[in-house]
Amino acid sequence: MPRIELKNITKHILNDLSLTIEDKEVVALVGPNGAGKSTVLNVIAGLIGYKGEVSFDGKKMDRIPPHRRGIGYLFQDLALFPHLTVAANIAYGLKVQGYDSTVIATRVEELTKALHIERLKERYPQNLSGGEKQRVAIARAIAPFQKVLLLDEPTASLDAQTAKYLRVELGTLLRRLEITVVFVIHDLLGAEEIADRIAIIHQGRIEQAASPETIFFHPGTEVVSEFIGRPNILNCDQCRVLASGLVEITSGDMRMVLPYEGDMIGKIAISPHDIYVSTTKPPGPTLNRYQGVVTEIVRHRSVVRVRISMGKTSLVAELSKGIFDEMDIAEGREIFVVVKLRRLRYVESA
Amino acid sequence: MTFKRLAISFSILIFLLYAGLILSLFYFYKGPLFLETLCSARTLFSLRLSLIAATSATAISVFFAIPAAYALSRYKFFGREAIDTILELPMIVSPVALGALILIFFNTPVGSFVQQNGIQVVFTVYGILLAQFVTTVGIATRLIKAAMDEIPARYEDAAKTLGASPAKAFLTVTLPLSRRGIIAASILTWAKALGEFGATITVAGSMAMKTETLPVAIFMRLASADIEGTAVLVLILIGIGLGLLYGVRMFTQRQSYV
Repeated sequence: MPRIELKNITKHILNDLSLTIEDKEVVALVGPNGAGKSTVLNVIAGLIGYKGEVSFDGKKMDRIPPHRRGIGYLFQDLALFPHLTVAANIAYGLKVQGYDSTVIATRVEELTKALHIERLKERYPQNLSGGEKQRVAIARAIAPFQKVLLLDEPTASLDAQTAKYLRVELGTLLRRLEITVVFVIHDLLGAEEIADRIAIIHQGRIEQAASPETIFFHPGTEVVSEFIGRPNILNCDQCRVLASGLVEITSGDMRMVLPYEGDMIGKIAISPHDIYVSTTKPPGPTLNRYQGVVTEIVRHRSVVRVRISMGKTSLVAELSKGIFDEMDIAEGREIFVVVKLRRLRYVESA
Repeated sequence: MTFKRLAISFSILIFLLYAGLILSLFYFYKGPLFLETLCSARTLFSLRLSLIAATSATAISVFFAIPAAYALSRYKFFGREAIDTILELPMIVSPVALGALILIFFNTPVGSFVQQNGIQVVFTVYGILLAQFVTTVGIATRLIKAAMDEIPARYEDAAKTLGASPAKAFLTVTLPLSRRGIIAASILTWAKALGEFGATITVAGSMAMKTETLPVAIFMRLASADIEGTAVLVLILIGIGLGLLYGVRMFTQRQSYV
């Protein structure tokens, strides 16, 4: 399976973009709308002309047409052939490449079973649900034993629950296939679940391409930091295992009890919108609740970021403008903080 | 009156216009004369010639129109706009003028060379085919292009990423998906070819039992003030033409995929 190199690619919004995807790596391209994510996929597939160089395992692909690049492509709009049944759609690539009918039948059977669409084989795409169409499109893209798989927003048109379920299945399937994968996704959380590395793309350039851990704990640029929501990074001064799956950490003057299965926590990243604030003391237990003072208020277009100092530690919380205005928060005012534990990101200590 | 009823009324008015004209034929209808004219050798020859020429000209037109329409629909190339515009020629220039253009061409050195060393076209059956082809190929291309414009190029991209060459993607994806549009275009082209008169009589003449198609035969009867004979031939042309068109429409509607 090839190592893909993009060097100095210029096309549409892409401006001198360079990126390397290692052999059998799963890389997520993440960025705002119009950043050039789908254009990158089209360049790799050879579906559009471009300036620059694309190579697979060192071999230049710029003059190789799409049908000879060995690429499987899951389009955002799926592009299932409406005149062919599900089985014929999946078999299409194998058929045009001249595979034996036995091989084709076996492959179709194998993929429909793996993606739980066996009962849909004789249906036409127009008679499938959104989730079913997505599965058929995935099966069709991977059927012809392609070396590279490109996925453009594989769960975009699905409801949240179906998308989550499909992401899990897709992650398992991609690992089993052991091929080089590049996929576009707008949701960072979804990218983390599947990708070995995340490439943040902004205005046609790669801002940072690194593991999810590095992206969150060591954002390379202001753009990346802004894109990931400028998380609060806390160094854990002490870490103590209280019981199986429960640890207590200390960071500055903050003491936190967290669900955690691994070894010692080195750092925690807390997103600003996962921090709840209150001007009155919240009822209930005091565990993971803190009192601090507002030291800075920064207004943005639709949100307000509030820096709260708790002795040696400070956290930034993000509130919508409406909620902020209702709460009567001002610099120097005492405030109560509750940390939402569900979406903390951890890095273990070295 | 609701909007729906108003819209339907207009379609009924158009139907009544054509139906009224057809019904007026029966004012001159005489049973024995109809049968005599229908079974005459001259009429049967004209009918056979019309059907064969229209079908052949349609087949040739569609053969040229499909790849041309695809190129105009999908590719950007030098001269594309000029080609797209010239397709309108049969619609803006009368069939007689088109026939005159063909005749003028065959009086040029190049045209004369073709006639002397290739095929004799003027005043022959080949002239009928050429006249019908010239008057219909532009329309066929325009109609098939419109059908192909409706097929997203994305399907071909998908086919290419699955290993299909551009030609294979066209044959296995675009062509099947534009089948209904091609059939509709073929039906209209055939109808136009069947009723073609101006270019045909200019290029091929009106020799009975040789180049006299049914529309030409109608004109010749009218020119000799034979109203009853004219009415019979018009009735035959309408009956066969509309009957076949209706039959093909019904057949293709049943054949369409889900």
